Amino acid sequence: MSDLLNIATIALVGLVQASLQLNLGGLILLYHSSLGKHRRRKTRYLAKSYIWGAGAINLLAVGTCCYFISHIFVGKMNTTWLLITIGALLATSIVMWALYYRNQGSTELWLPRSFVRYIRKKSREVNDDISAFSLGMLSAFAEMPISIALYIVAGNAIVQMSENYQIVTLLGYALLSVLPMFVLKLRIKSGSSVVAAQRWRLKNRGFTQVTSGAGFLVLGLFILAFWVM
Amino acid sequence: MRKRKTYEYDREGIKQSVLRAARSARIEEGWAEQIAERAAQATDGWIADKSVVTEADLRKVLYEELKEIAPDVAFAYKNHDKII
Repeated sequence: MSDLLNIATIALVGLVQASLQLNLGGLILLYHSSLGKHRRRKTRYLAKSYIWGAGAINLLAVGTCCYFISHIFVGKMNTTWLLITIGALLATSIVMWALYYRNQGSTELWLPRSFVRYIRKKSREVNDDISAFSLGMLSAFAEMPISIALYIVAGNAIVQMSENYQIVTLLGYALLSVLPMFVLKLRIKSGSSVVAAQRWRLKNRGFTQVTSGAGFLVLGLFILAFWVM
Repeated sequence: MRKRKTYEYDREGIKQSVLRAARSARIEEGWAEQIAERAAQATDGWIADKSVVTEADLRKVLYEELKEIAPDVAFAYKNHDKII
Protein backbone atom coordinates (compact mmCIF):
# COMPACT_ATOMS: atom_id res chain seq x y z
CA MET A 1 0.00 0.00 0.00
CA SER A 2 1.37 3.41 -0.92
CA ASP A 3 2.53 5.91 1.65
CA LEU A 4 0.15 8.45 0.13
CA LEU A 5 -2.87 6.27 0.87
CA ASN A 6 -1.64 5.70 4.43
CA ILE A 7 -1.14 9.43 4.93
CA ALA A 8 -4.66 10.10 3.60
CA THR A 9 -6.03 7.50 6.04
CA ILE A 10 -4.13 8.99 8.99
CA ALA A 11 -5.26 12.52 8.06
CA LEU A 12 -8.89 11.38 7.83
CA VAL A 13 -8.66 9.59 11.18
CA GLY A 14 -7.04 12.69 12.73
CA LEU A 15 -9.87 14.91 11.46
CA VAL A 16 -12.55 12.57 12.79
CA GLN A 17 -10.74 12.45 16.13
CA ALA A 18 -10.53 16.26 16.11
CA SER A 19 -14.30 16.51 15.64
CA LEU A 20 -15.00 14.73 18.96
CA GLN A 21 -16.28 17.00 21.70
CA LEU A 22 -15.15 15.71 25.08
CA ASN A 23 -11.59 17.06 25.00
CA LEU A 24 -12.81 20.44 23.75
CA GLY A 25 -15.56 20.54 26.38
CA GLY A 26 -13.02 19.66 29.07
CA LEU A 27 -10.81 22.53 27.93
CA ILE A 28 -13.73 25.00 28.09
CA LEU A 29 -14.51 23.70 31.57
CA LEU A 30 -10.89 24.22 32.58
CA TYR A 31 -10.93 27.79 31.21
CA HIS A 32 -14.14 28.53 33.09
CA SER A 33 -12.77 27.21 36.38
CA SER A 34 -9.31 28.67 36.02
CA LEU A 35 -10.30 32.17 34.84
CA GLY A 36 -12.39 32.47 37.99
CA LYS A 37 -9.39 32.12 40.27
CA HIS A 38 -6.16 32.60 38.31
CA ARG A 39 -4.62 35.31 36.18
CA ARG A 40 -5.19 34.95 32.42
CA ARG A 41 -1.52 34.24 31.87
CA LYS A 42 -1.56 31.26 34.23
CA THR A 43 -4.78 30.00 32.67
CA ARG A 44 -3.07 30.06 29.26
CA TYR A 45 -0.27 27.85 30.60
CA LEU A 46 -2.76 25.47 32.19
CA ALA A 47 -4.69 25.24 28.92
CA LYS A 48 -1.47 24.44 27.07
CA SER A 49 -0.65 21.66 29.54
CA TYR A 50 -4.18 20.27 29.21
CA ILE A 51 -3.82 20.12 25.40
CA TRP A 52 -0.44 18.38 25.67
CA GLY A 53 -1.99 15.89 28.09
CA ALA A 54 -4.80 15.02 25.67
CA GLY A 55 -2.31 14.83 22.78
CA ALA A 56 -0.02 12.57 24.81
CA ILE A 57 -2.81 10.04 25.41
CA ASN A 58 -3.70 10.06 21.70
CA LEU A 59 -0.03 9.57 20.83
CA LEU A 60 0.45 6.76 23.36
CA ALA A 61 -2.80 5.02 22.38
CA VAL A 62 -1.91 5.00 18.68
CA GLY A 63 1.70 4.02 19.51
CA THR A 64 0.37 1.08 21.55
CA CYS A 65 -1.87 0.03 18.65
CA CYS A 66 1.15 0.21 16.32
CA TYR A 67 3.12 -2.03 18.67
CA PHE A 68 0.39 -4.67 18.95
CA ILE A 69 -0.46 -4.62 15.23
CA SER A 70 3.17 -5.01 14.20
CA HIS A 71 3.69 -7.86 16.72
CA ILE A 72 0.36 -9.72 16.59
CA PHE A 73 -0.44 -9.30 12.90
CA VAL A 74 3.20 -9.07 11.80
CA GLY A 75 2.99 -5.85 9.79
CA LYS A 76 -0.68 -5.20 9.13
CA MET A 77 -4.15 -6.31 10.18
CA ASN A 78 -5.76 -9.15 8.25
CA THR A 79 -9.06 -8.78 6.40
CA THR A 80 -11.17 -10.30 9.18
CA TRP A 81 -9.91 -7.78 11.74
CA LEU A 82 -10.24 -4.95 9.25
CA LEU A 83 -13.89 -5.90 8.74
CA ILE A 84 -14.43 -6.00 12.51
CA THR A 85 -12.86 -2.53 12.78
CA ILE A 86 -15.09 -1.24 9.96
CA GLY A 87 -18.09 -2.66 11.83
CA ALA A 88 -16.97 -0.80 14.97
CA LEU A 89 -16.61 2.43 12.98
CA LEU A 90 -20.09 2.09 11.48
CA ALA A 91 -21.59 1.23 14.88
CA THR A 92 -19.85 4.27 16.40
CA SER A 93 -21.25 6.40 13.59
CA ILE A 94 -24.79 5.32 14.48
CA VAL A 95 -24.10 5.90 18.18
CA MET A 96 -22.84 9.40 17.38
CA TRP A 97 -25.98 10.28 15.44
CA ALA A 98 -28.40 8.75 17.91
CA LEU A 99 -26.87 9.20 21.34
CA TYR A 100 -23.91 11.56 21.41
CA TYR A 101 -25.56 14.47 23.22
CA ARG A 102 -27.61 13.93 26.34
CA ASN A 103 -30.13 16.81 26.27
CA GLN A 104 -31.59 19.10 23.64
CA GLY A 105 -30.56 22.37 25.25
CA SER A 106 -26.98 21.59 26.26
CA THR A 107 -23.71 20.09 25.08
CA GLU A 108 -23.71 17.43 27.80
CA LEU A 109 -22.50 14.09 26.48
CA TRP A 110 -23.67 10.57 27.25
CA LEU A 111 -21.08 9.80 29.88
CA PRO A 112 -21.60 8.32 33.34
CA ARG A 113 -22.64 11.30 35.49
CA SER A 114 -20.31 10.25 38.31
CA PHE A 115 -17.41 10.46 35.87
CA VAL A 116 -18.51 13.90 34.63
CA ARG A 117 -18.75 15.08 38.24
CA TYR A 118 -15.21 13.80 38.78
CA ILE A 119 -13.91 15.71 35.73
CA ARG A 120 -15.71 18.88 36.92
CA LYS A 121 -14.22 18.49 40.39
CA LYS A 122 -10.73 17.96 38.96
CA SER A 123 -11.09 20.97 36.64
CA ARG A 124 -11.91 23.14 39.69
CA GLU A 125 -8.85 21.80 41.50
CA VAL A 126 -6.37 22.41 38.68
CA ASN A 127 -3.66 24.70 40.01
CA ASP A 128 -0.49 23.69 38.20
CA ASP A 129 0.76 22.32 34.90
CA ILE A 130 0.89 18.72 36.11
CA SER A 131 -2.74 18.65 37.23
CA ALA A 132 -3.80 20.35 33.96
CA PHE A 133 -1.77 17.79 31.98
CA SER A 134 -3.43 14.97 33.97
CA LEU A 135 -6.88 16.43 33.33
CA GLY A 136 -6.13 16.47 29.58
CA MET A 137 -5.06 12.82 29.80
CA LEU A 138 -8.18 11.95 31.76
CA SER A 139 -10.54 13.54 29.25
CA ALA A 140 -8.79 11.82 26.31
CA PHE A 141 -8.98 8.55 28.24
CA ALA A 142 -12.71 9.08 28.87
CA GLU A 143 -13.25 9.45 25.13
CA MET A 144 -11.68 6.07 24.39
CA PRO A 145 -14.91 4.07 24.02
CA ILE A 146 -15.63 6.29 21.00
CA SER A 147 -12.07 6.74 19.72
CA ILE A 148 -10.63 3.23 20.15
CA ALA A 149 -11.53 2.24 16.57
CA LEU A 150 -9.82 5.41 15.34
CA TYR A 151 -6.63 4.53 17.22
CA ILE A 152 -6.61 1.05 15.65
CA VAL A 153 -7.09 2.41 12.12
CA ALA A 154 -4.38 5.05 12.61
CA GLY A 155 -2.02 2.46 14.11
CA ASN A 156 -2.60 0.07 11.22
CA ALA A 157 -1.85 2.82 8.69
CA ILE A 158 1.26 4.02 10.51
CA VAL A 159 2.88 0.55 10.74
CA GLN A 160 2.53 0.24 6.97
CA MET A 161 4.42 3.49 6.34
CA SER A 162 8.09 3.54 5.42
CA GLU A 163 10.12 3.38 8.63
CA ASN A 164 11.47 6.91 8.05
CA TYR A 165 8.00 8.41 8.18
CA GLN A 166 6.38 6.41 11.00
CA ILE A 167 7.37 8.73 13.87
CA VAL A 168 6.56 11.84 11.81
CA THR A 169 3.08 10.59 10.91
CA LEU A 170 2.44 9.50 14.50
CA LEU A 171 3.31 13.00 15.72
CA GLY A 172 1.31 14.56 12.89
CA TYR A 173 -1.71 12.49 13.90
CA ALA A 174 -1.41 13.54 17.54
CA LEU A 175 -1.15 17.21 16.56
CA LEU A 176 -4.11 16.99 14.18
CA SER A 177 -6.23 15.37 16.89
CA VAL A 178 -5.73 18.36 19.25
CA LEU A 179 -6.01 21.04 16.56
CA PRO A 180 -9.47 22.35 17.60
CA MET A 181 -8.15 22.89 21.13
CA PHE A 182 -5.21 24.91 19.81
CA VAL A 183 -7.62 26.96 17.68
CA LEU A 184 -9.78 27.63 20.76
CA LYS A 185 -6.70 28.60 22.76
CA LEU A 186 -5.57 31.01 20.03
CA ARG A 187 -9.03 32.55 19.75
CA ILE A 188 -9.22 33.13 23.50
CA LYS A 189 -5.71 34.57 23.47
CA SER A 190 -6.72 36.95 20.69
CA GLY A 191 -9.69 38.36 22.61
CA SER A 192 -12.59 35.93 22.26
CA SER A 193 -14.21 34.45 25.37
CA VAL A 194 -15.07 31.03 26.71
CA VAL A 195 -18.71 32.06 26.65
CA ALA A 196 -18.50 32.75 22.90
CA ALA A 197 -16.93 29.31 22.35
CA GLN A 198 -19.60 27.56 24.39
CA ARG A 199 -22.36 29.53 22.62
CA TRP A 200 -20.88 28.36 19.30
CA ARG A 201 -20.84 24.74 20.49
CA LEU A 202 -24.42 24.99 21.66
CA LYS A 203 -25.61 26.65 18.45
CA ASN A 204 -23.79 24.13 16.22
CA ARG A 205 -24.23 20.98 18.29
CA GLY A 206 -26.37 19.38 15.58
CA PHE A 207 -23.79 20.21 12.95
CA THR A 208 -20.89 18.79 14.97
CA GLN A 209 -22.90 15.67 15.78
CA VAL A 210 -23.74 15.01 12.13
CA THR A 211 -20.19 15.82 11.01
CA SER A 212 -18.60 13.46 13.54
CA GLY A 213 -21.04 10.66 12.72
CA ALA A 214 -20.49 11.18 8.99
CA GLY A 215 -16.74 11.16 9.58
CA PHE A 216 -16.90 7.69 11.14
CA LEU A 217 -19.11 6.47 8.28
CA VAL A 218 -16.83 7.90 5.59
CA LEU A 219 -13.77 6.45 7.30
CA GLY A 220 -15.39 3.01 7.45
CA LEU A 221 -16.29 3.13 3.76
CA PHE A 222 -12.83 4.48 2.89
CA ILE A 223 -11.15 1.52 4.59
CA LEU A 224 -13.57 -0.89 2.98
CA ALA A 225 -12.87 0.55 -0.47
CA PHE A 226 -9.10 0.99 -0.28
CA TRP A 227 -7.91 -1.60 2.22
CA VAL A 228 -10.31 -4.53 1.97
CA MET A 229 -11.54 -4.62 -1.64
CA MET B 1 -43.08 13.70 47.17
CA ARG B 2 -39.30 14.22 47.19
CA LYS B 3 -38.09 16.75 49.71
CA ARG B 4 -36.21 19.61 48.03
CA LYS B 5 -32.75 20.29 49.36
CA THR B 6 -32.37 23.50 51.36
CA TYR B 7 -29.13 25.28 52.20
CA GLU B 8 -27.85 28.21 54.18
CA TYR B 9 -27.81 31.50 52.29
CA ASP B 10 -24.22 32.40 51.43
CA ARG B 11 -23.99 35.92 50.02
CA GLU B 12 -20.22 35.76 49.53
CA GLY B 13 -20.52 32.40 47.75
CA ILE B 14 -23.07 33.91 45.36
CA LYS B 15 -20.78 36.84 44.61
CA GLN B 16 -17.86 34.49 43.97
CA SER B 17 -19.84 32.29 41.57
CA VAL B 18 -21.03 35.37 39.64
CA LEU B 19 -17.46 36.70 39.58
CA ARG B 20 -16.22 33.38 38.13
CA ALA B 21 -18.89 33.53 35.43
CA ALA B 22 -18.04 37.17 34.67
CA ARG B 23 -14.34 36.43 34.31
CA SER B 24 -15.00 33.52 31.96
CA ALA B 25 -17.12 35.95 29.91
CA ARG B 26 -14.06 38.24 29.80
CA ILE B 27 -15.73 41.07 31.69
CA GLU B 28 -13.36 43.70 33.09
CA GLU B 29 -12.63 43.21 36.79
CA GLY B 30 -14.28 46.43 38.05
CA TRP B 31 -17.47 45.81 36.08
CA ALA B 32 -17.43 42.13 37.13
CA GLU B 33 -17.41 43.14 40.80
CA GLN B 34 -20.29 45.56 40.23
CA ILE B 35 -22.30 42.82 38.50
CA ALA B 36 -21.60 40.44 41.41
CA GLU B 37 -22.66 43.07 43.96
CA ARG B 38 -25.87 43.91 42.08
CA ALA B 39 -26.72 40.23 41.72
CA ALA B 40 -26.12 39.69 45.45
CA GLN B 41 -28.32 42.70 46.29
CA ALA B 42 -31.10 41.23 44.13
CA THR B 43 -30.94 37.90 45.95
CA ASP B 44 -30.79 39.72 49.33
CA GLY B 45 -34.04 41.48 48.41
CA TRP B 46 -35.71 38.32 47.19
CA ILE B 47 -34.73 36.26 50.19
CA ALA B 48 -35.69 38.91 52.79
CA ASP B 49 -39.29 37.74 53.36
CA LYS B 50 -38.63 34.00 53.07
CA SER B 51 -37.83 31.57 55.85
CA VAL B 52 -36.65 28.71 53.61
CA VAL B 53 -35.32 28.75 50.04
CA THR B 54 -33.93 26.05 47.78
CA GLU B 55 -30.73 26.38 45.81
CA ALA B 56 -32.65 25.89 42.56
CA ASP B 57 -34.97 28.82 43.37
CA LEU B 58 -32.03 31.02 44.23
CA ARG B 59 -30.18 30.09 41.04
CA LYS B 60 -33.27 30.94 39.01
CA VAL B 61 -33.62 34.37 40.62
CA LEU B 62 -29.92 35.03 40.15
CA TYR B 63 -30.06 33.96 36.50
CA GLU B 64 -33.03 36.24 35.76
CA GLU B 65 -31.22 39.17 37.38
CA LEU B 66 -27.98 38.47 35.50
CA LYS B 67 -29.83 38.15 32.21
CA GLU B 68 -30.87 41.78 32.54
CA ILE B 69 -27.51 43.13 33.69
CA ALA B 70 -25.10 41.04 31.58
CA PRO B 71 -26.45 38.28 29.29
CA ASP B 72 -23.02 36.71 28.73
CA VAL B 73 -22.48 36.34 32.46
CA ALA B 74 -25.97 34.87 32.80
CA PHE B 75 -25.13 32.35 30.07
CA ALA B 76 -21.85 31.38 31.76
CA TYR B 77 -23.55 31.13 35.16
CA LYS B 78 -26.37 28.94 33.86
CA ASN B 79 -24.33 26.69 31.58
CA HIS B 80 -21.04 26.11 33.37
CA ASP B 81 -22.20 22.73 34.65
CA LYS B 82 -23.65 21.66 31.30
CA ILE B 83 -20.50 21.86 29.20
CA ILE B 84 -19.75 18.11 29.07
